Amino acid sequence: MLEMRDIRKAYATPQGPLSVLEGVDLSLAAGASLALMGESGSGKSTLLHLAAGLDTPDSGEISLDGQRLSAASEPARAGLRRTRLGLVFQQFHLVPSLSVADNLTLQARLAGRETPDWSGELLTRLGLAEMADRYPEQLSGGQQQRLAIGRALAGRPALLLADEPTGNLDEASAETVLTLLLELVRDSGCALLMVTHSTRVASRLERRLTLSHGRLLAEEAR
Amino acid sequence: MITGRRSPRLVSRMAPHLVPHLAMARTALITLLSHYRRHPGQLAMLLVGLWVASALWSGVQAINASARDSYARAEALLSPRLERLERRDGAPLGYADFTTLRRAGLPVSPLIEGTIELNDGQRLNVLGIEPLSLPAGGIGEDRRTGNGGEDGANPLGLLQPPGQTRLAPETLATLNFSPGERPITAGGERLPPLVIDAQLPPGTLLVDIARAAELLKRGPRIDTLLLAPGTPAALPAAYRRTPAAQGLSPGQLTESFHLNLTAMGLLALVVGLLIVHAALGLALEQRLGLLRTLRALGVPGRTLVALLAVELVLLGLAGTLPGILAGLWLANILLPDVAASLEALFSASVGASLSLPWHFWAGSLAITLGGLATAGLGMLWRTARLDILALGHALSSHADSRRRQRRQAGLATLAWVFALGLWAWPAPSGTPSLIAGFAMVALALAGSALALPVLLGAALEGLKRCLGGNSPRTALIRWALADLQLQLPRLQLAMMALLLALATNLGVTGMVGGFRLTFLDWLDQRLVADLYLRPPPAAYDSWRDWLETRPEIATLLERRETDTRLIGAEGERPVALQGISADPALTASWPLLATLNADRAAAWQSLREGAALINEQLAIATGLAPGDMLTLASPSGPFTAQVAGIYPDYGNPRGEVTLTVERLIQRFAAKPGSMGLVLTPGLAAADEAALRQRLTRPLPASGEALAPSLVDQRSVHRQARQVFERTFAVTRALTGLTLGVAALALFTGLLAQARERRARLAPLWALGLGRTTLLGVTLAQLGGLALATALLALPLGVALNWALVAEINVAAFGWRLPLHVFPAAWVQALGLAVLVALLAAALPAWRLWRAPPRQLLEEFSAS
Repeated sequence: MLEMRDIRKAYATPQGPLSVLEGVDLSLAAGASLALMGESGSGKSTLLHLAAGLDTPDSGEISLDGQRLSAASEPARAGLRRTRLGLVFQQFHLVPSLSVADNLTLQARLAGRETPDWSGELLTRLGLAEMADRYPEQLSGGQQQRLAIGRALAGRPALLLADEPTGNLDEASAETVLTLLLELVRDSGCALLMVTHSTRVASRLERRLTLSHGRLLAEEAR
Repeated sequence: MITGRRSPRLVSRMAPHLVPHLAMARTALITLLSHYRRHPGQLAMLLVGLWVASALWSGVQAINASARDSYARAEALLSPRLERLERRDGAPLGYADFTTLRRAGLPVSPLIEGTIELNDGQRLNVLGIEPLSLPAGGIGEDRRTGNGGEDGANPLGLLQPPGQTRLAPETLATLNFSPGERPITAGGERLPPLVIDAQLPPGTLLVDIARAAELLKRGPRIDTLLLAPGTPAALPAAYRRTPAAQGLSPGQLTESFHLNLTAMGLLALVVGLLIVHAALGLALEQRLGLLRTLRALGVPGRTLVALLAVELVLLGLAGTLPGILAGLWLANILLPDVAASLEALFSASVGASLSLPWHFWAGSLAITLGGLATAGLGMLWRTARLDILALGHALSSHADSRRRQRRQAGLATLAWVFALGLWAWPAPSGTPSLIAGFAMVALALAGSALALPVLLGAALEGLKRCLGGNSPRTALIRWALADLQLQLPRLQLAMMALLLALATNLGVTGMVGGFRLTFLDWLDQRLVADLYLRPPPAAYDSWRDWLETRPEIATLLERRETDTRLIGAEGERPVALQGISADPALTASWPLLATLNADRAAAWQSLREGAALINEQLAIATGLAPGDMLTLASPSGPFTAQVAGIYPDYGNPRGEVTLTVERLIQRFAAKPGSMGLVLTPGLAAADEAALRQRLTRPLPASGEALAPSLVDQRSVHRQARQVFERTFAVTRALTGLTLGVAALALFTGLLAQARERRARLAPLWALGLGRTTLLGVTLAQLGGLALATALLALPLGVALNWALVAEINVAAFGWRLPLHVFPAAWVQALGLAVLVALLAAALPAWRLWRAPPRQLLEEFSAS
């Protein structure tokens, strides 16, 4: 489903080019889950951004379901993000001017894939049904992250990319959100690539990879 | 049909591709617009900005368009292609001349013009024509065929009893009559039935010449003989031809007046668009996160830019259309004053009701939407360049802000350099160009507005550095200054609007005030006689002879006028010619701007000996100076005289040459004019009253049954003051409204960021500052910023005042005014600026003061 071959990426800095990824190879099968770990600055978020088509590699190939993401135009990458991917951010990035219900269905509507039954089920399973008419600012941090997960899954994506989805939450909320996320991912049948610092969180996923100084270390078995 | 065959195939080919895109665009647009549901203040700010900008601009344009329509009709009434005939001996024309010329085979037609008063006091121009002999191609064409009038089919309508009084629809509306009615004149005569003629200019009645002669009590005299264009050159020796529309048309004369109005409208448009720009910037900044999220969720960047452009169009239509309607309402209120000014200044008749061509609507919409597009271009550009990976990052770092300030300072310097260049660069014609004058003012205003945030930022930084000590008060002041620096990017556009409005207000107030002082002084110097008498022309000599014998009169000051042409190396130009009595009673106070060797007495003596004086307008337009020779066309051939001096002639749009009245009679066969009567000092009131009474009756010795017209100096003064005040009523109204718009800009700017302000103040509250203190700090911040802006507006206002009197006025009207400054107006402006800022800050401050502690606590947590 997701294939990344020999990915290289460097950023220009006043001190010269800073290499972030140095020949990364990664593959993720449909319905599988993978935790991407590593220290701060190891290139995890960059790799996630490349997988989401938010950025392009300097060299190497990325393909999603056989479609070459690395060679696609910006509108084509946007189209793939809209229809095939779900994104969950550490900072939630909800739309403050839309209600909970409208936030949840936003991406599905953008992709023209809204299914009211599934949206309703998501609202209920996320524990947000009673708050459908509220606005994000009226929710707690945990509720906001659950809403962000719902938004990412409402369009039934093939791949969910999550960047530290529990990083902003307290332990109890983080546990609840993670459990819910994994349940929903499993039920919807999509693949999951999650960036995390937490070994505890990573241990809940099928595979675990560690990035260090722009290179992937050997995969750790669960 | 072709479309019908193609469309199913087209839809089937496009639909799968387009439908999801349309759904995406619709959802994204709704999401973008949802921002305004949560921030109605910003939406109001945008709409109000557009509303006021389009209202003031379209109001001014509606006035201009209506006036131009009136000029076009006035010009169409007397086609420039028609020629007029006059007698070489300067004697008035009569029906005998008409008969002689028609018998000689010349296609001439008589015309008389005059003014009548209706029994309700309204005064109207009357034009008497002879429909059967009117030449084709001029005023006659439509009226001969009957196409001009409403009932039009009968070409003899004007002639057949009871005749017709043709008039423009707006004249009919002003008179409050219906077609077919017969108004009564002040003399008790009934006009022929009213008939609408849309081609006539406002304020003019067209009747048959015989009826006009009765109404105007003209007897056998006619004013003009019109000659069809293309008539062979040979004329009887006693006659010569002159162009019918000698001199400038009303459209040309009033061009500068309308350009001034347009400039004021443009300024209001710019100030309004500054509000829009500020609101758009704020809306973009607050939606950056949303835009990045939408990009992350798969909306392409180009789609977002297109959707924001759609949003701009929707907002533009929502704000502009009501704005144009409000502009029409404003124009309806201002038009009577404008019409009165144009009538008094240029004798140009303008209808008191609006008459708008289709392109007014299209133009108003296009200008406002164009302005909105310009204001929104920055927003679209920033959206197109949005860094998708900077999710959640603040938009403007200190480095960004400094970079922006440097760019603004560079642009401000450039604008000022160009403005100074335009001032220093001599115009090719030698006289300043109006467009260059306005461009100079616009560049100086733009440069100052751009420099304002830079200067305010530097002043705040300087104050912060100067602040010593560690007392709680110092700490609070230091925080307030730093906070103001943070607020500055958000408030800078509102402050720019305030600066422009204050400077314009100061500049225009200074110009109008200075003009009033100069004008009234000049009136006192020129109006030395106590009474002004205009006898009927035929009785003029008898009246003069009689008045010269009267002991009540110390001096008789004759004045005659005529038109002629100044002959120069570059061709001929029409000039007004006046003859005056060069009596010391008049010449002692008559102001002169320049004379040969700065010797006033010698200049007047030269005039008595045959030299000429010229007005400032003519001197600037031709470059003539004291000592130069000028040549005028006269009935007996070219007349050459030395220029003895230049005099100011405020309010006169034309070039004028002054000779002695004797010279005017001798060389130019000038018709009788008026007489100024200087009363004997110490004349008893009863004797003066008796004289006045006598002067309102006909003089039996003259054999003329008509009484002279008499006005006293006080009423001339009063009328001149009224004209003056009405002329500047519109200017004052527009500058006042512009200041109002600037206040609105500040108010909406503060309201739009009130929530964020509270979030910034909440930590201070949490640290132990009372809400009253915070309120005081907020008001002091805004008041101080407005005061600093006003202080910078003072020199700009003086510079604008100078540009108006020394550059724009010279280019527009041909005369220069001395620069007057009014310190009281400065103090008023400073107070006004602080008041505007405090009023604008009042509502957000009141909300802060009323905010419950729980809310502040929540905002503190959020901050």
